[in-house]
Amino acid sequence: MSESIRVVIVDDHSIFRSGLRADLDASVDVVGEAADVPSAIDVIRETVPDVVLLDVHLPGGPAHRPADARSALAATTGPEATGGEAVIRGSQPTVSRFLALSVSDAAEDVVRVIRAGARGYITKGSSGGEVSRAVHAVAGGDAVFSPRLAGFVLDAFGAVSGETAIAQDELDRLSAREQEVMRLIARGYAYKEVAAELFISIKTVETHVSAVLRKLQLSSRHELTVWASERRLL
Amino acid sequence: MPSSATSAPASAPSRAPLVRDRECAVAGVSAGLARHLGAPLWAVRALFVVLTLCGGAGLLLYSWFWVFMPWGEGEESPSRRMPVAWMLLVVAGLGALGVLSGAVGGYWIGGSASPSAAAVVIGATSACATAAGLWATLIDRTDPARGPRHAMIVRVLAVLLLAGVFGVLLVRPGTAPAVALVLLPLAGLLAVLSSTLVHRWRELAGERVRRIREEQRSEMAAHLHDSVLQTLALIQNRAGASSEAARLARAQERELRAWLYDGDAPADSDLPTDLRDYAGALELDYPVRIDVVSAGLSAERASGGLAAAAREAMLNASRHAGGEISVYIEGSAAGVDVFVRDRGPGFALDDVPGDRLGVRESIIGRMRRSGGSGSVRSDENGTEVHLHLPVGGETRV
Repeated sequence: MSESIRVVIVDDHSIFRSGLRADLDASVDVVGEAADVPSAIDVIRETVPDVVLLDVHLPGGPAHRPADARSALAATTGPEATGGEAVIRGSQPTVSRFLALSVSDAAEDVVRVIRAGARGYITKGSSGGEVSRAVHAVAGGDAVFSPRLAGFVLDAFGAVSGETAIAQDELDRLSAREQEVMRLIARGYAYKEVAAELFISIKTVETHVSAVLRKLQLSSRHELTVWASERRLL
Repeated sequence: MPSSATSAPASAPSRAPLVRDRECAVAGVSAGLARHLGAPLWAVRALFVVLTLCGGAGLLLYSWFWVFMPWGEGEESPSRRMPVAWMLLVVAGLGALGVLSGAVGGYWIGGSASPSAAAVVIGATSACATAAGLWATLIDRTDPARGPRHAMIVRVLAVLLLAGVFGVLLVRPGTAPAVALVLLPLAGLLAVLSSTLVHRWRELAGERVRRIREEQRSEMAAHLHDSVLQTLALIQNRAGASSEAARLARAQERELRAWLYDGDAPADSDLPTDLRDYAGALELDYPVRIDVVSAGLSAERASGGLAAAAREAMLNASRHAGGEISVYIEGSAAGVDVFVRDRGPGFALDDVPGDRLGVRESIIGRMRRSGGSGSVRSDENGTEVHLHLPVGGETRV
């Protein structure tokens, strides 16, 4: 096992923070906690963790920030940004990676946080082991896609209706291979199983997933946001 | 006396309740009272008329019953046979004619008629026209047999009558008592015009109540989201994925979430919603955790063979494999695909005895009859059931 991963937990519920802290593997070292947007940004600046476990919904959004930061935040996120999104944007530039945690499966919120720069998304019902594995994956530079997020992504990129990217650098659509990978993840396959199914290496699967994540973050696709706000899954 | 009869002890249990019919002549008072007393309808009506002649006692009694007798059982708003508004309007019209002829002929100004008679005519005309307008606006508006259009016509006619009487009195001011009478139609005019505001005001108040309720609901949703949902998530987190506590917490979370966010969702559920509900039910009965993911169109109805086969596959997985189960639904223009995957020890389809209906009949056979296809793939890493239904496949069910 490599050296332990330094983690900051950002969640406004102390019960949840302590519960998660107790549940995480020994290989994960919690170096800080924060309960709202401003303190989260401060803690992240101070400790520079490897991974930030970030609740999607946080109190103390842009309105509570000091004036200079507020204007910058408002410009990038808009007034209705969820707390998690504000933390990611507010702590840039940083080497820390973000993993979104949420009880809310509203597609809109999840897509917003991913687009702001989170490297993955898992639900709060996940066990400590699952969270630890996800933390390791994110720390290693990989993206963590839950089946649900994969479903969102397929939907948002219009993959189901048959839109396929032809050029390699096309940002608004997924390539055929990326669609296959996303579909298998949505069906509940682990990366290893996806690799076996498609006769490719795990590394290649991770590359595809990272490419999808990059497209999700960079694509200017208008429908992505419209779709997310129109649709209320669960 | 009706009053003594109504206050009599309930010695006769067969006596009909004292309620007003929703299909009534004017207010349903006489009919209701007659039924309650077991007396003929005409007798009750005659009684009211006779009592009215005794210094208006009947009128008071009638009003008293009108206010305090409840409507009979029913949902629809009451409907009245008698066109009360029109009758009042006709009386008012006759009165207005009298006022007009009197003014033109000038017979009371000339002294041929007493000022008190003029006052009675003007007063009755104004009262009838006002009553017609108010009746139409406040009572007939909700009557299914009449409605807002009728109310509008009556109101316009009443206003015209009152304005006409008012105009005539202005042009031909009479003696001193007649000057005070001028104000009577004016007051009626104001009353009829302002009655429309009552309706508007009611609507506004209703709107406000709705808004407040919505606000409270979203506030409560935010609070529950912050407290209860988080705690339920924590319970699942700490208790282990397939423990009893986690399953209960998950079921509760799903219910609460549905109540908070789905709100006024249509009752006719689509396939993903239906399978999600079914997953919730399975999680209560078996030690499983089912993740239902959907992408694409969700136009597929929950009632068809595909849904039944998918449910059967989920049940099989819960019963035989347990643990984590993934359900993925994808609806495209070409058809609908459902994948049900579990992490159980797996089984070989050929090893299953032919008399076991589960997989062969309920899943694959059902899909074939629906015009689709089903396949099962199983190895040591788990089992995956794939159901496919092309567009237009469901027609032969």
